[in-house]
Amino acid sequence: MEIQLSAVVPVPLREKVLQQQSDIWNRDIRFLPAQTIKIKAPSGTGKTTLVHYLYNIRYDYTGSISVDGKPWSSFSKDQLAAIRQQQISVVFQDLRLFDQLTALENIELKRVMSPQPYHPQEKIREMADRLGVSHVLNQSSATLSYGEKQRIAIIRALMQPFQWLMMDEPFSHLDEANTEKAAKLIAEECRARNAGFVLTDLDHDNHFDYQVTYLL
Amino acid sequence: MHFYQILKKIIRTGVGKGRFLMAAVGLGIAMLLILVALQVHHNFNELLYGERNQNERADFLVINKTITNEMMGNNALSTFTPAEIDDFKKQPFVDDFGVITAGAYNVKMVANQLGFSTELFFEAVPDSFIDVKTDQWKWQQGQQEVPVIVPSDFLDMFNFGFAMGNNIPQFSEETVSSLSPGIVISQGMRSSQFNGRIVGFSDRISTVLVPLSFMEWANSVYGEGQAKPPSRVIIKTKDPSNPVLTDYLDQHGYSTNKEKTKYSKVRVIVQTIVSVVGFFGIVLLMFALLVFSMFIQLVIASCKKEIRLLITLGAAPRQLQRYLLKQFVPLYIVIGLLALVLVAGLQWWAAGLLAKHQMFVPSLPGVITFAAAVTILVLVYLVNLFAVKKHIAGM
Repeated sequence: MEIQLSAVVPVPLREKVLQQQSDIWNRDIRFLPAQTIKIKAPSGTGKTTLVHYLYNIRYDYTGSISVDGKPWSSFSKDQLAAIRQQQISVVFQDLRLFDQLTALENIELKRVMSPQPYHPQEKIREMADRLGVSHVLNQSSATLSYGEKQRIAIIRALMQPFQWLMMDEPFSHLDEANTEKAAKLIAEECRARNAGFVLTDLDHDNHFDYQVTYLL
Repeated sequence: MHFYQILKKIIRTGVGKGRFLMAAVGLGIAMLLILVALQVHHNFNELLYGERNQNERADFLVINKTITNEMMGNNALSTFTPAEIDDFKKQPFVDDFGVITAGAYNVKMVANQLGFSTELFFEAVPDSFIDVKTDQWKWQQGQQEVPVIVPSDFLDMFNFGFAMGNNIPQFSEETVSSLSPGIVISQGMRSSQFNGRIVGFSDRISTVLVPLSFMEWANSVYGEGQAKPPSRVIIKTKDPSNPVLTDYLDQHGYSTNKEKTKYSKVRVIVQTIVSVVGFFGIVLLMFALLVFSMFIQLVIASCKKEIRLLITLGAAPRQLQRYLLKQFVPLYIVIGLLALVLVAGLQWWAAGLLAKHQMFVPSLPGVITFAAAVTILVLVYLVNLFAVKKHIAGM
């Protein structure tokens, strides 16, 4: 699955974007299948906006984003749902867990959303063990710390099949050791699927072997 | 864990549950009213036209124009024109149609044995309309004896009215039948004499009848050349209480034996009540449907954030629609089945009750009732589906 951006300019950031030099905005670029991509940028330059564009939940841009040559705007709601269940997964910066569910249910929701789950249920506990959140699985997600929520959101994103994983500052509230573990798990899961990912962050990091790094 | 089990925790359908249950009760009552109305209508038809309830297959009505004050003195106004007769024959409720031919001559009956003579009149109808079955009912030219049928009311009037009041002996039907009064028919100076023979008493036609062959001969010999238009007609109909028939008679100013058509009024009343009940059922159904779609809108609106997040995470709108419908539809089916069971119970009970009075209706509701129940459920389902689709699509 190849993602093409052509002359994408976010409408709210138009002035700013056109003045500055950017590797992404207002350019024609391709995210090739299985590429590991880092997008580095300071705050306020549109990292989250870009992830939302790539995941197609925000549309306020000029230019176009296409998936395998087909622009996002041409997909129906049911086609989009299928893509989100099978081909593109996401870790939002604001995590977006359901407060009324437990941590486990939040993960399970994503696992059973498609009729044939990618992972068996035991995999949840296994991943939670690795990331050190198995003790909070049965707690309401509203009561978790931000760092715990972040790890739950990462596990949730890994429950489904995907060819691309979009991550928006996924380790912002994790310490070095936990980040290490999470990155390792993500790398393994991506490798198992032969999938690529797009990760945004403020700074330079060595959590993954990035094939491409863009400055936003 | 199943996807729907988790959805249950996210999309709370408990919002406004009271209203939903009220609407469900409303749906139940609406279904009941509609089904009962249909079933009563069905039963009523069964009572009127069903094979088992046919005591008499057909009824005969003698019909004439109502004589009003304006008509008096102009006999032509009270006769049926050929156009009127043609129109009448074409009516769907008319199975057979005959005119009553009046004699165009004077008749005098002399009963020497009884010591009286009287002026009389003859009329004739086609044989198929006569309720008296006898071999003697025939006449051919040259035959001296003329068979006559008189209304049974005639004999009753004589026996219980005239004879009692005048100290004359009463006569049985047999005695009267054995008499052969003299009959004189005349026109001006010409006259002929015959022997009358009362061959039967009619409950159907209240006139003095002679065979049509005699009437035609006598009219040709003693009449004034051209046949008089009929002033009375007789029809055979399956259902004298058919409101269409009574309406037709009223519209054209015709009148007949009211006794026979009086059930028409009852039928109109029953049909009106049934229609009103059915109408209320439909109105109630409409309200229930309205409340259901408002309820669905409320549920979806109250979980707007959650539904949006579900869709963001990849839940297909179709999955959510199916989930929401699954929350409501089983209840509708239960309501539909309950209404059907209740109607079936009522029908069974009514059938038992009516059977005691020799009225037979099926002990199970008719196909139309089942079909209506299914139709209503399909309608409810479609309205729900539409509401769910519309509001989910708006996310």
